[in-house]
Amino acid sequence: MPRYIVERILEDGWPISGDDCRGVLQRNTDEGVTWIQSYVSEDGTTAFCLYEAPTPEAIRKTGARNALPVDRITQVRVLDPYFYEEDR
Amino acid sequence: MTRGTAVAETPPRAELLERSEQLSALGESLDSVAAEGSGRLALVRGEAGVGKTALLRRFREDRAGAVRILWGNCDPLFTPRPLGPLFALPELRDVVARDVLPHEVVSALVDELRRPAPTVFVLEDLHWADEATLDVLRLLCRRLESFPALVVGTFRDDELDRAPLLRIVLGELGTSERTSRLKLRPLSPAAVATLAQPHGLDEVELYRKTGGNPFFVVEAIAAGTDEIPDTVRDAVFARQAQLSPAAKDLLGVVAVVPPQAELWLLETLVGDGIGALDECLASGMLRVEAGGVAFRHELARLAVAESANPTRKLELHGRALAALASRPETAHDVARLAHHAEAARDVGAVLRYAPAAGARSSALGAYREAAAQYARALRFGDRLEAAQRAELLELRSRACYLTDQYDEGIAALEQAVDLRRSVGDELKAGDDLRILAEFLWCPGRVAEAERRATEAVEVLEQLPPGRELAAAYTKRAFLCTCGARSEEGRQWATRALAIAEPFGDDEIAVEAYARLTEFDGSVGLERGLERARKAGFSELVANRYIPLAFVAMEEHRHADATRYLDQGIAYCSERGFELFRLYLLAARARLELNLGQWAEAADTAATVLRVPRTSISPRIVCLVVIALLRARRGDPGHDDLLDEAWGLAEPTGEVYRLWPVAAARAEAAWLRGDHDAVRNATERTFELAVELETPIAIGDLAVWRRRAGIDDAISPRAPEPYALELSGEARRAGERWAELGSPYESALAFSQTDDEDALRRAHDELQRLGAKKAAAFTARRLRELGARVSRGPRPSTRGNPANLTAREVEVLGLVAEGLRNADIARRLFLSEKTVDHHVSAILRKLDVRTRGEAGAAGARLGLVSAPT
Repeated sequence: MPRYIVERILEDGWPISGDDCRGVLQRNTDEGVTWIQSYVSEDGTTAFCLYEAPTPEAIRKTGARNALPVDRITQVRVLDPYFYEEDR
Repeated sequence: MTRGTAVAETPPRAELLERSEQLSALGESLDSVAAEGSGRLALVRGEAGVGKTALLRRFREDRAGAVRILWGNCDPLFTPRPLGPLFALPELRDVVARDVLPHEVVSALVDELRRPAPTVFVLEDLHWADEATLDVLRLLCRRLESFPALVVGTFRDDELDRAPLLRIVLGELGTSERTSRLKLRPLSPAAVATLAQPHGLDEVELYRKTGGNPFFVVEAIAAGTDEIPDTVRDAVFARQAQLSPAAKDLLGVVAVVPPQAELWLLETLVGDGIGALDECLASGMLRVEAGGVAFRHELARLAVAESANPTRKLELHGRALAALASRPETAHDVARLAHHAEAARDVGAVLRYAPAAGARSSALGAYREAAAQYARALRFGDRLEAAQRAELLELRSRACYLTDQYDEGIAALEQAVDLRRSVGDELKAGDDLRILAEFLWCPGRVAEAERRATEAVEVLEQLPPGRELAAAYTKRAFLCTCGARSEEGRQWATRALAIAEPFGDDEIAVEAYARLTEFDGSVGLERGLERARKAGFSELVANRYIPLAFVAMEEHRHADATRYLDQGIAYCSERGFELFRLYLLAARARLELNLGQWAEAADTAATVLRVPRTSISPRIVCLVVIALLRARRGDPGHDDLLDEAWGLAEPTGEVYRLWPVAAARAEAAWLRGDHDAVRNATERTFELAVELETPIAIGDLAVWRRRAGIDDAISPRAPEPYALELSGEARRAGERWAELGSPYESALAFSQTDDEDALRRAHDELQRLGAKKAAAFTARRLRELGARVSRGPRPSTRGNPANLTAREVEVLGLVAEGLRNADIARRLFLSEKTVDHHVSAILRKLDVRTRGEAGAAGARLGLVSAPT
């Protein structure tokens, strides 16, 4: 399944509390979306979230259902720096 | 599994290990059916032998007396009997015995399920289900809210690869909020230990070998060997080995007559050997069923059947065939007879029963099984006369066509044409060529379709005019419609009608009329629809909604298009016209896109793309819808979709299939500022559109070319909003698009002006839609004009996180106030049914089960004021 980095601008800071998390994950599952990891800026207003998802539409849909903004979706693949070591 | 329980059987009423969660989930579903008076669906899945039947038997025992149970099992026969599981229900036997299509069976079933409340309706082993049974399930579940029953379906989820139809049906059923899904997992090591202990078995070893599969565990224990068997088969053999020779022999006989062996049949086959039946039953390998005896589990039957001596099996199948064919109560069961006939290699019997089984399957709407039965007959049909063989091929091709097996259908029909010609039957050959044209068109082989239709006319014009020639003319008219060649098409349709009109309300006369009138646009299409409806040709009625919806969309009559789609989708859903339904859903996805309902468009298009069909039209439309959404939002992955759509559309050479893809490619190129690519994407299709004078295609493509700086001579034929922009009146074009209800098209037209107000309006609308790309360059133009641009609200935070429509938010507010649907309907001047639909949509979108939860979720998301 493709991986995507989703950029979110969060004017009021990181919105998901421990209580919300279960619901968020459940709603993701309904669309086949897996939230792998997020990097959040120190002030909490920007997040870069890594997802596995069938389509960008699935990410937007779960974003809407979870009340999370979606500012940019980029499809990505993983490059490991040590990969280059082996090449040499 | 068909008729086995697993753990539950030893000892009786023993606790069913590790299934209490699933039992209470079923109980909750049934309770809410009783409380709400409307239906629910529970899908129980798990590997073979995991205990699906055991779970349901236990559920039945627990609820004995309190509910009515209808229980149907699907056949493990290689080609299952049409509607087999429903045939077993005494309540439905009379209906099913007549030749009725699935939607008629569903009507009878719904009446049955409406009676004493509540009912549990079980359909077991759906992975073996015939097509008609799956259609019944699908259509039944579309009407769940209209009867108080819990529908339970079980299937092996590890065998879905071999059940493509079930996969599609599950995809549709799984999205309903009335569906609950239960997965049965193998037993834990602890549960296996509990079972192993009384027998002194090595529990770790038992778990390791069985993986906790309850059927395997029980068989392994029952095998009673020192060493735990390595496979299910070994366990079954070990268990069988404990029996007397007579009992072993009897097991071998029962194994060749699935799904179950009637007692009289066993007596015929083994004579006194039936004395060993008690031993088999006592051993637990066989169990008594309503109509006879059967293996406790299909896994055990398969193991025994596979290990039996081939010569002995051949002989048993032959004798079973003779016995079944000679008894009145089984002689009509032609699918079962065909099964034994093939297994006995009895050519005469296969040729007698397989075509009969094919006809029966076709009559009941189980076309996949019909195709398989005709194929079975053809495998044994080497020595048939040409005409007989051709007829089987024609029947098979029709069944293949109806089940999306185009390549097989086309191959069969091509052989039939040759055979018909070899014996000089030009009439049938000509008719086959006409049908071949139809089969070839669907997957987009348009040039071949044209060639075959032309041949059909040439052949049939040598004969006195009749239905076949009228049908061939009609087919040529159809191909002209698709190719946007109206004048030629009109001529063919006129000639068809001249022959067919004297037939009165014959289907070919009604179709020829519909073909002719469709060249008069919407008014003509309405007349064709009306006549088809009056004459009662439901397939033609369903088909007419497709051009009606597309023509209304092309003319930007969105309210009409919505109405045709609502009616057409309901009509097709109820009657099971699945392919036409996909065409209409694809049209709906496009309409939603045009109306700015992007989230809905994405959902609808994804629904269509999930169904693997060879027909290319719905797929092209939906690929374009999703590609445009991605391009406009700045999301990745639109080029691949457009390449696929172009790859499907291009070989057809048909302007109506090419233009939307070309326009979408142009838009995507324009959004990334690549004006050369706009030219490349549109050049050939634009020329074709001009040559064929198709206004919508000319207008749409010309606008994209103009936006990319390509100056074509203005075509007088471009429809209004396009023509306005092309003649330099972008602002008026924007206003016209807004009046027509297309916000994105409106904003793009506004964005082509140098007027600050218009640009600002465009920018706001594009922001609201989430059209990031176009919003960005509109903002740039505003700044170039010296205007200040605010970031504006972003679509995902604009106060409606769950994608509720304005109406749904309104309904949700009243739900949160505690109003009942009837009150809401009165308050909002809506029908109660409409309110029902809104409430269902709200529950789904908010992902909640009850109205109370909906109110709470609405308050949390700020959609309604918090409850006081």
